[in-house]
Amino acid sequence: MSFLDIIILIVKALVLALAATTLFAYFTLFERILLARFQHRVGPNRAGYIPLPGGRKLLGGFLQPVADAVKLFFKEDVTPALADKWVYLISPAFATIPALIIWATIPLGCWPVGGDGALPVGGCAPVGGSNFLQLAEISVGILYLLAVTSIGVYGIAIAGWSSNNKYSMLGGVRASAQVISYELALGLAVLGVVMQAESFSTAEIVNRQWGWWFIIPQFLGFIIFLLASTAEVVRAPFDLVEAEQELVGGYNTEFGSMKFALFFMSEYIKLVAMNAIAVTLFLGGWHFPGLYTLAQFVSANAGQWAGNAVFGLLSLGAFLLKVTLLSFLSVWIRATVPRVRYDQLMHLGWKVLLPMALFNVALTAVLNVLIPDNRVLSGVIALVVGALVIVGVAAVNGPRKPPASQVTLVKKSAEVVQ
Amino acid sequence: MPDIQIPSIDLGVSLQLLIIFGGAMVLLLADLFSGEGNKRIVGYIALLFVVGAAAAGVPYWDAPRSTFNGMLVLDNFALTLNWIFLLSTAITILISLEYLPRQGIERGEYYALLLFALGGMMLLAQGTDLIVLFLGLELLSITLYVLAGFAYPRLSSEEAAMKYLLIGAFAAGFLVFGIALLYGATGTSSLAGIANKLGSGLAADDVAFMLAGAALVIIGFGYKISMAPFHMWTPDVYEGSPTPVAAFMSVGTKGAGFAALARLLLVALGSQYATWGLILAILAAVTMVIGNVSAVAQTNVKRMLAYSSIGHAGYILMGVLSAGSPAAANRGIEGFLFYLLAYSLTNLGAFAVLIALEQRGEAAWSLDDFAGLWHRQPFLAIAMALCMFSLAGVPPTAGFWGKFYVFTAAWEAGLQWLAVVGVITSAIAAFFYLRIIVQMFMRDPVREISPSLDRNLMIGVGLAALGVIVFGISPTPVIDLVQGSVLALSR
Amino acid sequence: MNILIMVIFVVLAAFTLAAGVMVVTVKNIIHAALWLIASFFSVAAMYLLMEAEFIAIVQVLVYVGAISILVLFAIMLTRHVTGEGVRQLYKRWWIALIVAAALFGVLIVPTVFNYEWAVQPSGAQISIASTVEIGTAFMREYLLPFEVASVLLLVALIGAIVIAFEERSTRRRVLTLAEEVEQRRQRNESLRLAPTTHASETSE
Repeated sequence: MSFLDIIILIVKALVLALAATTLFAYFTLFERILLARFQHRVGPNRAGYIPLPGGRKLLGGFLQPVADAVKLFFKEDVTPALADKWVYLISPAFATIPALIIWATIPLGCWPVGGDGALPVGGCAPVGGSNFLQLAEISVGILYLLAVTSIGVYGIAIAGWSSNNKYSMLGGVRASAQVISYELALGLAVLGVVMQAESFSTAEIVNRQWGWWFIIPQFLGFIIFLLASTAEVVRAPFDLVEAEQELVGGYNTEFGSMKFALFFMSEYIKLVAMNAIAVTLFLGGWHFPGLYTLAQFVSANAGQWAGNAVFGLLSLGAFLLKVTLLSFLSVWIRATVPRVRYDQLMHLGWKVLLPMALFNVALTAVLNVLIPDNRVLSGVIALVVGALVIVGVAAVNGPRKPPASQVTLVKKSAEVVQ
Repeated sequence: MPDIQIPSIDLGVSLQLLIIFGGAMVLLLADLFSGEGNKRIVGYIALLFVVGAAAAGVPYWDAPRSTFNGMLVLDNFALTLNWIFLLSTAITILISLEYLPRQGIERGEYYALLLFALGGMMLLAQGTDLIVLFLGLELLSITLYVLAGFAYPRLSSEEAAMKYLLIGAFAAGFLVFGIALLYGATGTSSLAGIANKLGSGLAADDVAFMLAGAALVIIGFGYKISMAPFHMWTPDVYEGSPTPVAAFMSVGTKGAGFAALARLLLVALGSQYATWGLILAILAAVTMVIGNVSAVAQTNVKRMLAYSSIGHAGYILMGVLSAGSPAAANRGIEGFLFYLLAYSLTNLGAFAVLIALEQRGEAAWSLDDFAGLWHRQPFLAIAMALCMFSLAGVPPTAGFWGKFYVFTAAWEAGLQWLAVVGVITSAIAAFFYLRIIVQMFMRDPVREISPSLDRNLMIGVGLAALGVIVFGISPTPVIDLVQGSVLALSR
Repeated sequence: MNILIMVIFVVLAAFTLAAGVMVVTVKNIIHAALWLIASFFSVAAMYLLMEAEFIAIVQVLVYVGAISILVLFAIMLTRHVTGEGVRQLYKRWWIALIVAAALFGVLIVPTVFNYEWAVQPSGAQISIASTVEIGTAFMREYLLPFEVASVLLLVALIGAIVIAFEERSTRRRVLTLAEEVEQRRQRNESLRLAPTTHASETSE
């Protein structure tokens, strides 16, 4: 590895980090507009727009994130007198760093560079070269992702503790308990994918999904992953960590100005990162139908480099599109599902998701052994069984009508009052 | 992706283990489906599995074999130990059946945990690899941490569990460190491999590290078998634990710890007898003296038994270390096995009598509580007397033959002074054992205690007492058994 | 490049040791836990330096991501919010120091004097970095320890539940103010009636 390579690597890392933070800024806008639409409101539409003739405004509110950032920068930065100074100071960093480094092993697209430079079929690993759109390819990339998500909770836990405030503390403790509980289901859901792909490497997992996204054979795992990852990043409806009604503001009550902004940012980046991981594991990563044919056409007519570039950019676009769709789903869930109670949270994590995830691992193992060669057949069987399990579990655990006796009691009491 | 060739496994070697572990899991389910307040059924099922496992071992007598890449063996030595452990566990279950509900701590997991502990003990008897030995020891220890704290709301029980956990974790640290050094010096974790390596001659550096590792491993096991000076935890833990658990610990952990220690010392480090022989002999002497002298001062019978169990650890150690000497190789092992069997039966019997005296929420472990027992419960008094005679080593009991065996083994091994120390400490010990007998038969009751003697407890006490006296009067079957067990170990 | 790696190693090693010293000397127990996490991290970084990616990640996943968070969790639930008031060094701390130094010395002295540990069977190159090889070894050479370890974990799980689980009937809960006043009133009464008995014992 030459000096230049290291410089390129550092630049790529910086660009990735900046891209992630920008993504966060615009994700907040995305969420606010969508939430407004869900609630029949207008949403942010003032800060920054392109005036059109006739008084119409285009892209209303696209500078809103900038306005927010400026506002946060100029807020007063208060440190509580009884806070544990050093821990209080580093806790926002503890929260933010994992959220940023999580992106390192996710293949964002496929732009083969180096080696023979050719566009490989069914994957993105040119002989002797590498994928320009993946910062680091390590053989245990999936475990890296799990490890980094699991250390993300430290920021929250120590922030809650160092504020020296009971509400913050409760928020921190809740966060630790919740993250530990859902990590198991999350890890087991990922394990299903690992067994399917027979590899821990993220690049290899994406390669294996050529024309056969893992959402089909791992449908059950996908649903578990979606739920568990939502809980893992303490996002609605599992955001008990910052339940305003119970905890004032949660673990970040005592944080202001940029420190608060960092927490806010880490939460959103983690959410998007989780969606990106879901795309990588289940939705084919950067794969998209027709992309490869198009790139081949371009490279035949305009040279190999152009073909690779087109393929790289388009696959990045496909990846971002999928992430956006999943992010839309996250916002949708937040807008429609009320926050769960704490016991419901624990019940879901330990008694529903964990057994389901274990079942998924067993199912994957059995199908891998019984039908090792026919991936369509085994995939369809897994899909059907998974869907049945989900419907069954939902039927058993879902909301139900209150028992008849209770209803009559209420009615009776109403009669008595009258 | 390479295909994984799973090595062919001789399931017969692990058959007893499989029955016990499988049984423990069945018990967990049985616990789930048995009604509240009726967990006895779980205990009965556990007994069934214990008996089944004992029977399953019979065809393997005199057919030594190993499997799992030589990590697990089933020779006569291991089989005899397994039977001793199974017998101890069966008696423990019998004496627990009524004790738990009486104390209000009845939960079905108790029996499952007992079986898991039994599995750990059997692994220690059968394992021939340091990794397996360590895992077996941890399996046993973790189970016992929980069992020691099983009488949860009682503070003394929590204290016992806490002390045992801390000391146990410490001991495990020594053990692992020692294993790492042994592995570093010899490049293998298998006992036979270490012996080979030592036989083929090691460099001086390697020998130094091997000995350091061996010392740390012996310290680790020393905690488990409560060998002086690592015995401090014993009285407190035995006193605080629920009495059946204390009984189980006093025979189970010790037996299993000694089993593993014997295999380690004799198989792997047999060639180094010159080094460890004398050190262990001194430690055995110290253990005997400390255990028996401290027991004299006790007025609490449960603590007295705890100290006496330390003393007995010294006697058992005497048997084990004598076996290292070529002159007494067979006799030492025979003595160890015989003593272990006799000690297990006797100690379980003594603890069972304590259980009969123990009322709910009120511990009757003082010497005074034994006064006049003969007038109230002649059966208990006779059983207790037999156990005390056996612990003291008075002739027509199994304990006598055990002591006789280990003393002669030590004598033959050229450790005459050790045998003399053993005889002297036995004489000291006779004082406090006989004191209880005097209390029971020659005093009037000091305070009113109505011992509760139910059918299961009676079977347990009876079984132990019967074993003590029968094996004392005609020890031939046991002698045949232990003599058969020796052959396999001396390669 | 070798110089660079050496520098990184020295920095990491120094940090690990410093963090370890901080763990056993700082007064605030939460700070001690945080230093412990820091030392775990730098150990993981050292594994990475030795190109043992799998072990490095597992170190982070298990020690940092699971064990330490449980430690923090337990401290937060049981200690006073500030976490103060723990004295780390006792009077005879130097005895512990000697023992620890001796045990450590057993490892470090031979390493310094270039002692060759016999960990590798002659000729066989064992790679510990590959997950495939680790998995294969678990299914072949170390099948028995692997199975026994699973039983061990099951037992630990059951044991933890047995210890932590309280029957509904015996569950201790925080009393409401009214209940507490009532209890205190009763206690005073019983004290007045029979001064020798202690009615405050609630267990059993």
